[in-house]
Parts: sequence; structure tokens; C-alpha cells
Amino acid sequence: MFPAEKKGEWEATKIRERKATNTPNKTEANGQADADITMGEANGTSDGQAAAEDQEDDPKFEEDPTSEEGAVYPLQDGRIVDWSCFFALLTHIYNTMGPPFHTPILVISQPTWTAQDHESLTQFIFEKFKTPAFCLMDSALAVCYAYATPTATVVDVGYTKCDVTAVNDFLVSDLGRGSALPRCGGEAMTQRLHDLIGGKGFTNDVCEQLKKSPICEILPPGTDMPAEAEANAHVSNPAAAASTGASGSGAGQRGSLAAQGGAARGPGINTEVGDADEDREFKEGEDDEGVLDVAAIVASGKTSEFLAKKEREKAAKAAAKKDAADAAAVAKERSLPNSKRVKATFHYHERRPLEELNMNGKRAMDGETGQDGGEPKRQKTPEPGVDSGAQTTENAAATRREERKEERRRNREGTAFIRKSADVGLERFQAASGGILDQIADAIHRCILSYPDISKRSDLWDSLIILGNGFKEALIGTLNSRYLISPSSATIFTSELPSNFTTPVATGANTPQPQHHPPSHHGPGVNPLLLAATTASNPNLAPPGQSQQQLHQQLQLQQYHQQQLQQTHQHSSHAQTPTSIKLLKMPDYFPEWKEVGMEEAGFLGAQVAAKVVFVVDQGISKGFMSRTEYNELGPQGIHESCL
Amino acid sequence: MATGQASTKPPDANEYGGDEISALVLDPGYSTTRAGFAGEDVPKSIVPSYYGLIPSESTPKHTKQLFGDNSINIPLPRISISNVMSKDGTVEDWDTAAKLWEYAITSRLTNTKPTPLVSNGLNDPNEDITEDITMEGVEEQEKPLGENPLLMTESGWNAGKDREKGIEIAMENWGCPAFWLARNGVLAAFASGKPTALVIDIGASTISITPVHDGLILKKGVTRSPLAGNFVSNQLRLLFSSSQPPIPITPHYLITSKTPVDAGAPAQATYRAFAPGTEPHPSFRHFQEERVLTEFKESVVNVWTGPGRLGGHSAQGGTNMDAARQHPGKPFEMPDGWNQMFPALDRYRAIEGIFDHKMALSDANNPPPSPGQTVTALISSSLSQVDVDLRPHLLGNIVITGASSWYAGFTDRLQQELQAAYPGVRVRMVASGQMVERKFGSWIGGSILASLGTFHQLWISKKEYDEHGSGIVEKRCK
Ligand SMILES: Nc1ncnc2c1ncn2[C@@H]1O[C@H](COP(=O)(O)OP(=O)(O)OP(=O)(O)O)[C@@H](O)[C@H]1O
Ligand SMILES: [Mg+2]
Repeated sequence: MFPAEKKGEWEATKIRERKATNTPNKTEANGQADADITMGEANGTSDGQAAAEDQEDDPKFEEDPTSEEGAVYPLQDGRIVDWSCFFALLTHIYNTMGPPFHTPILVISQPTWTAQDHESLTQFIFEKFKTPAFCLMDSALAVCYAYATPTATVVDVGYTKCDVTAVNDFLVSDLGRGSALPRCGGEAMTQRLHDLIGGKGFTNDVCEQLKKSPICEILPPGTDMPAEAEANAHVSNPAAAASTGASGSGAGQRGSLAAQGGAARGPGINTEVGDADEDREFKEGEDDEGVLDVAAIVASGKTSEFLAKKEREKAAKAAAKKDAADAAAVAKERSLPNSKRVKATFHYHERRPLEELNMNGKRAMDGETGQDGGEPKRQKTPEPGVDSGAQTTENAAATRREERKEERRRNREGTAFIRKSADVGLERFQAASGGILDQIADAIHRCILSYPDISKRSDLWDSLIILGNGFKEALIGTLNSRYLISPSSATIFTSELPSNFTTPVATGANTPQPQHHPPSHHGPGVNPLLLAATTASNPNLAPPGQSQQQLHQQLQLQQYHQQQLQQTHQHSSHAQTPTSIKLLKMPDYFPEWKEVGMEEAGFLGAQVAAKVVFVVDQGISKGFMSRTEYNELGPQGIHESCL
Repeated sequence: MATGQASTKPPDANEYGGDEISALVLDPGYSTTRAGFAGEDVPKSIVPSYYGLIPSESTPKHTKQLFGDNSINIPLPRISISNVMSKDGTVEDWDTAAKLWEYAITSRLTNTKPTPLVSNGLNDPNEDITEDITMEGVEEQEKPLGENPLLMTESGWNAGKDREKGIEIAMENWGCPAFWLARNGVLAAFASGKPTALVIDIGASTISITPVHDGLILKKGVTRSPLAGNFVSNQLRLLFSSSQPPIPITPHYLITSKTPVDAGAPAQATYRAFAPGTEPHPSFRHFQEERVLTEFKESVVNVWTGPGRLGGHSAQGGTNMDAARQHPGKPFEMPDGWNQMFPALDRYRAIEGIFDHKMALSDANNPPPSPGQTVTALISSSLSQVDVDLRPHLLGNIVITGASSWYAGFTDRLQQELQAAYPGVRVRMVASGQMVERKFGSWIGGSILASLGTFHQLWISKKEYDEHGSGIVEKRCK
């Protein structure tokens, strides 16, 4: 949100005076949507950002839907840091959706929200939106709903932070929960890329685009990094390349690595070495192939005069040569999966102030975009080999048309995008090399090993849900290589030991059970407080989750087949965990979500949950707080019904 | 609980009448500090009582403090780990403790309050807003706990000026409207529903025996020794180092990956290297070793359940040690992949010292415990301090709490030992089978107490504190 003229008031989009000057950057207006909000009966979407466009024509002011200048983000690391702004955001979303008057509301709560936050929010929702019913659902629990599982370890990697939560039988465990691990989100990966290649002139914005581009991958630990001689080795062995092209993991590649004696280098270590290599590669690339030198381009973005001449001339000259000379090289490069290539090219947009571009002239821009292969699409290794020549010409023409249109539009606004391409070396595999995966993995280990019911820990290891793109394999790899307990060869000998002696496991099961109803044997001078407490009629100490658990069980039956959890426990004499680590299967009853990925699983789950909580269950199991309850209990009542 | 004076007086007008606002319960222990709202069954906020220190590059005197699991488990350059509690289970560093507790409370429970809706700048100021949302007392609000009464726990041997520190922090730093200080042993009895009990609390730093009669602590009967969780950890260290060849404990943070190896074979792992000058302090390693050792305790260590002691003889005449050798071992894998079947004797041996001082492992840094420090001896000396008539009653209501009592066989063994020591008495024990209840017994007791309607008349209000000063704690919280 943006501060409005009057202090304490907020606007959803940047408002500025008409004859505005340059705005530096573009992203969505409302900032991170850390709080997902579902309205109504599970059929709403929360896209509050959509409202930006409709504007009244005011002679003095106009909205700039693309600007984030001066934007205030009410949520940081999930925490609500600016209440006034947060409330304004909620109001904006609410107004945008314009739900009918009696619409119940479900809000997904962040693990970092405190009990008092819950109260404040409850109060706001009831007072402001006059909602008849309000449900506050823990984000990890919402994810479990999406996956239709009562038990999971939810690893939710967000923008700046990551949450790690153990959920068992629909109950979120506070013990050992990794709430908002700082600097463990996607932003940290962008930052890491910037640290690695920022020195070569890549801006943060470009790094963000690089991170999202298909060439940026996080390889599982132990994966060999491609080495320089790689490409050649492959060409010399076309049969192998052909046979492995489809899977990208055939013997050919491994053979070639072995052939050149490539030292295994995992991501995350030896970063400096990679850097040194890279510098050399960049220079080579410039000389040999005429590929645009990224460092020069971007650096020139800062020193614009230089850019004007040198760069454009060179680019224009190179374009022709490049098309021809690179065709072969590109073709052979493309036959390799991204993860086997030392270098890869990616395309990005750069936003520039207009004056600079006017100076450069239009020709330069065209030259620059000549090689553009269209909007980069997220793609995994291996990349299919394509006939690059034909595609390029066709696309280039189209892109140029697009570009001109875009430019004309931008001209009116004072900035323009230019498309660029750049080569990136091994750094593109190192977005997570700053220790993010280690930190997340360690948090998962701590979280599960803090789960009080030791016998449930195996299940938690076997039902990981990782939300976030691009690093799942790497994270699982890290967990496996660091924490997996291998079947001990020592256990062979156990069979030789007397088998009639069972070893008790420390579950406390062999200890006397607690007496919840102690004998009412009280002397005359008994402390009245204790009397009250010991007669076990303390309504204040409601066994939490009991009614909710019933609700969940009921929902479970109504909604899905009971998730078949592994009933056959691995027979291992290990009491230690994990003896196996598994990702939970993605549910398949929402096919349309499959393509998008389950990153927004929490939202999906909340939609399911909202339907169940508000419609199916109708409040029998106290899944939400009703208006009447609110009037009776006040905001504090939310603790009795929040999920 | 000092009910006597307080409950006979009629509640006066100034008394805190906070039925509406949830009280907070704060239970500091050596390994973790537990905080949560009264009336709930588990503390929502569980924060290590350990904290991290990062020395500043420029001014070595200045250090940055790190609180909470998220930050103190990362091997940051030159991080060292300290604890706000002392080795005998009382607060050692009050200044840092206050910060750590505040972190525990504000990170999960309370927060800086949002500004009142009237002035929070909603775009639609015409919206009718109910009056009660507005809050008075702005300066009160700025303190983190301006609205919540606080019940804090202390060990049974906390004494003197230390008893006053808690209320000073609560009233001065946090702006609490009301305060109460309770003995954690009494609260654990409470959690088990026992007004009269002999509470055996085995935590990390201390094992303590607290006789409780009708909800009141019998202070002279409180006994304690250091034979608790940390002692067992050190027993394990001794066990590992005296092994042939010695077994190194390499914590997780030092390993980047491990390869499966055969039992007893040397580990094959890639180790994490730190640039010179950035290595974490040995205290960090020690702290991380605790994680491994706790896992070992959970999955391998067992209490010998007799008959007789591990060092004794069986009815057939053989030694119990020989008998134990026949029992099955358990495998354990270290973070570096090294693994081995730990023979039953080792599994029993690691904790036998708590019951039998002669069986404890020792070296120069770990002197052997004295006979009076074992759990059985502590109970005997505790009972010897209380009224003879009360003893059978206490022995019939033994409450076991603290995470270090979780070992398989612990209660069975204790039952045997006590029955042998007090043959004529009926010894009965209560030990929750729920890990959470066992671990957080004293917090749960505090949660029950502070949520009782009748408890409201007991709170020491801010006004009373302002009038009488911190000395009021000694008078009221017996
Ligand atoms: N499952 C388990 N089995 C055995 N020991 C355990 C288990 N879990 C934790 N421990 C040990 O229990 C100790 C922590 O116990 P607890 O939380 O009761 O202590 P505390 O209250 O923080 O400390 P203190 O009472 O000394 O102030 C640690 O030494 C830890 O290693
Ligand atoms: Mg304790």
C-alpha cells in the first residue's frame, strides 16, 4: 500500500502528479501477499491487485499501477509490522471483491502472528466487515487441507522467510516449530545471485529475473558441476549425447566428466573458485562469439554515453555474425541439458529511463533484441533441442513488433523496457549456496526431533510438503545426505541375541498413567485453590483441539478418502529417525493446480477448508467464530475456535 | 501458596480484577524457558535458555545477543553460546534473562498493540467504531505486557534478593498490572492434581525433591543435586571417550554430507570447514552436541530395572552386570555416519549413576558424585526434614516431572528403590505418559493456577507494588 496525502490513510496504487518524472522500477503494487484471504464459500480469489487499473480522470493526479516507489509493506517475514497499512490492505481486498453482505471470512494466519495479533485481527474483521462468521486458520494446517493429509511436515518457503511446521492429526505442534526462519526465502536466493554476479553489473532486478529463468537451477548436493571442456567432450561423442538427450542423466555425460577428470564440485562450496573460472569465461565469450558482454551492457546502463556508441555499434556488427556463427554452437549447446552446460543464455527485461534510449536511437534497440527468443518460460533440464534459426527469425519479427508497441506505450510514461540477453556461468546453480538449504534442512531436523511423540517422527519425515519452486530436489538431497540414518549393519547381530527380551522404547508407556481424577482426600485446611484445581472441573483448561479434532475427522470423512498413511512401519531396530525421507504426493483432485504447482497450496487448502468449516460443518465443531460468539466473548474468543 | 492471609481479606477496590485478560505464565528452566497464556494446556512459546553472542569486529567489548532456536543454531562467525540460568537452576544473568523472556513472550504471545481503530487511518473514517476499542494509558501500552498479569515460576531454593528481581522486571520493564511468583515444584504437583505430594523434578541442571503439603511448599524439605540431564550428557561423553577407540561426537553443523558406513567403521563424511577466525566458539559446539546427546538419550539410554542395582548381584548369585550383558543392544548413528550397536550394559550404565553413585563414570573434570546426591538419597534426606506423620502420605503421592525422567524404566526403578528403602509404606507414583505433560509440568500447573477465578484475589497488583516495593513478594508469595 502507499501512504496517502493524509497521514494514516492508504492508497492501493501509487498516486502522483501528472507531469511525473521517471519511476525507477516495476512490480506489483501491493507487495507480498503473505496473508491469504478467502472470502465466502470457498469460491473467491484474493486477487486484490487487479483493482489497480480503473481510475477516474483527475486533471492533477494519476495512478501509476506499475510503481512501487514509497510502497509500504505491512507484512515483513510474515509479521504484521504496520497495522494501519495492513488493515487498509484488507479493506482494499475486501472492497475489490465486494462480497455480498453476509459473507463469512477465513483468514490464513502466519505462524509468527501472536495470540494478541489474532485478537486484533478478529476484532477488525468483525467490526469493520460485519462478517457473520470468521475463521482463522494456521497456514500449515491450510496446506494440510490442500493435501488432504492429517499429518505432514510443512516447509513453506516464502518471499523473505521460511516456515517449518509439524502437523499431526490436524494439530499444529508449537514445539520446535521453525517460524519465519529469517533470510531463508526466495529473496535470499536472488540476493545470493546478486552477491555472486552483481559485481559483473547485474542489478538486483536482473538477478530476480535470472532466478526465475529456466537456466537457474539448484542442483541436488553431490551433483557434478559442468566443467569447461564439457561441451567439446560431448560433441566428440555424438552417439552418447543423442542417447542421453532425453533423460539428461545417461552414462554419456558421466563418462565425459570422468574423461576429463572433472573434480566433483557441489553447489555451495568452492564458490570463489567458480568465480575465477567465470571471469575467464566471460572474456572468452566476448572475444570468440561476439555474444554481448553482459558486464559491459549493464555497466553502461549506469554510464549512458558509453552505452550509446560503443555498445550499439558492436552489437549491430555482431548480430549478423552471431546469427550464422552461433547457429552451430547454439545447436550443440542446446543438445545439452542446462545443468550440463558451463554457460547458458537468458533473456531479460531492463527498464530504462526514456532520455537514455532516445539518445541511443531506435536502431540500437532493435539490434539488441534481435536474438530474443520470446518470453522465457520456466523449464527444467533437459531442454529440448530446437531448430534455433527458424524460430529466431520468426520470433524476432514478432518481438520487434511487440517491442515497438510496448515502446510507444512506455514513451507516454517516461520509461521503456528493453530486452536483453546475457550469458551466465556456474553461478546460476548457486542461488542457494549461501547456506539457505542448510538452514532450512537443519530447521526441519530440529522441528521433527522436537516433536514430543517420538513414535510419530517417522511419519513426519515421510510426509514432507515443500512449497516453493526449484529447490525441492536439492533440499531433499541435503536432508538425505545429512540426516538419513542408514540401516545399520550392526542390526544383523541383533537376531543372534535372545529374542524373548524386548527392549522398551522410551515412550513413557511403561510409566504409571497420570491421574486426572485424584482421590478427593482433602484435609480440613486444604487450599481452596487446589481444591478447585484438583477436582478436575476447571473449565479454563479446555483440552484444546478436542472438538476441533472431531471436526477434522468428520471433515476428513466427508471430503476425502482417508489418506492411506503407511501402516507398515519399516521394521528397524533404530529408534532414531529419519530412516526414510519422503515428499507427500500432490493431490490429484485439482488438476488445474498441478500445472501452477502447489506453491499456493495454503490458499487452495483454505478454499477447501472454508467450504467445510462454514458450509458442511455449520459450526458444530467450532471451526469458526460466529458474530454471536464475538459479541459474547469479544476478540479473545477467537482462541477457542481458531484452527 | 500463601492463601492464608490473602483469602481471608475481602477483596478491596484497588485489587486487580482481571478475569477478562489472560494472564501469562513464565517458567524459566535451564534448557528451555516456557511461556504461554494461562488456561492453555501447553506453553505456546518455548525458547532455549541458551543464547548466542556475536563479538563485534570493531569493539570487542560489544557483543550482539541472539535469542531463539532460529538464530542460535546457525554457526555464525565466532558465535558463542551462554545460558541465562546458573548450573543450580536459578537465574544467573538477570539482564539478559529479562531480554530473553521478553523475546519469548513478545515473539509468540503478545505484541506491540495496533493503534486504536479510531486513529489507525482506515480509509473510511465514517465507519462506526465501538468505543471500547479505544485504549487509555498510552505509556502503559508501550510496555510489552501492559495488559497481562504475569505468573512466574522459581525453583524451591531461590532466595533473598533474587526473589524480588522477577517482580521488578515485570512491573518496571514490562508494565504488568499484576504479578505472582510460584515455586515450580508446587506447580508440578498442581498439574498432577495433588495438593499434597513429593515432587521429583529432573531437569537439565538439577534434580530436586519438593515436599508439598496442602498446596504449600515445605521449604526445609527441599533437596537437590546436579545429577540430572546435563549429568547424563556428561556420563555419555565419558562413555564415548573411554570407548576403544574413542567415539567422537561430531554435531550436525560440522557435516555437509555423510556416507553410510558399516557398524564400527570410521566415518566417511565431508566436513564443514570454517575460514580461520570465523570458527564458532567451543561453547557453540558443546551446545550442538547436546542435540546429539538428547537424541541418544531418547533412543538408546535405558534405566536398569532390576531386580537390584546394576552393580549388585542377582538372586542366583551372578552379577547384574553379567545379566545386563545378555540384553539386546541398540544401534545409534552419529551425525557423521559412524554407527554402532551400543551394548545394553552401556545403555544402562549411562544413567545408573543417578541411582547408584558408585556406578557413575568420572574423570578429572567430572568428579564422582557423592552418595548423598543420588535420587534415593535426596528423597530420604527430604523426608527426614518433614513431619513423620506426613511421610507416608508423601510417599503415596510422588509426582515425577522434568524431561530427564523420560527414560524407559525410570519410574519402575524408582518405585523399587523406594519400596526397598521404605518397606512398610505404600509407595505410589504419578508420572504423565504424555511427553508434553512430563516436560512442562510446572508450566501447566501455573497455567491452571493463574486461570482459576479464585486466584485473582491473590495477584500482587501494580498499586501494591508501588506502595510496598519489591519486598512484597517475600511477604505474599511464600
Ligand atoms: N526424551 C528424553 N529422554 C531423556 N532425556 C531427555 C529427553 N528429552 C530431553 N531430555 C533431557 O532433559 C533435559 C531438559 O529437561 P527439562 O526441560 O525438564 O529441564 P529444564 O526445566 O529446562 O531444566 P532445569 O529444571 O534444570 O532448570 C535436557 O538435559 C535434555 O537432554
Ligand atoms: Mg525444570
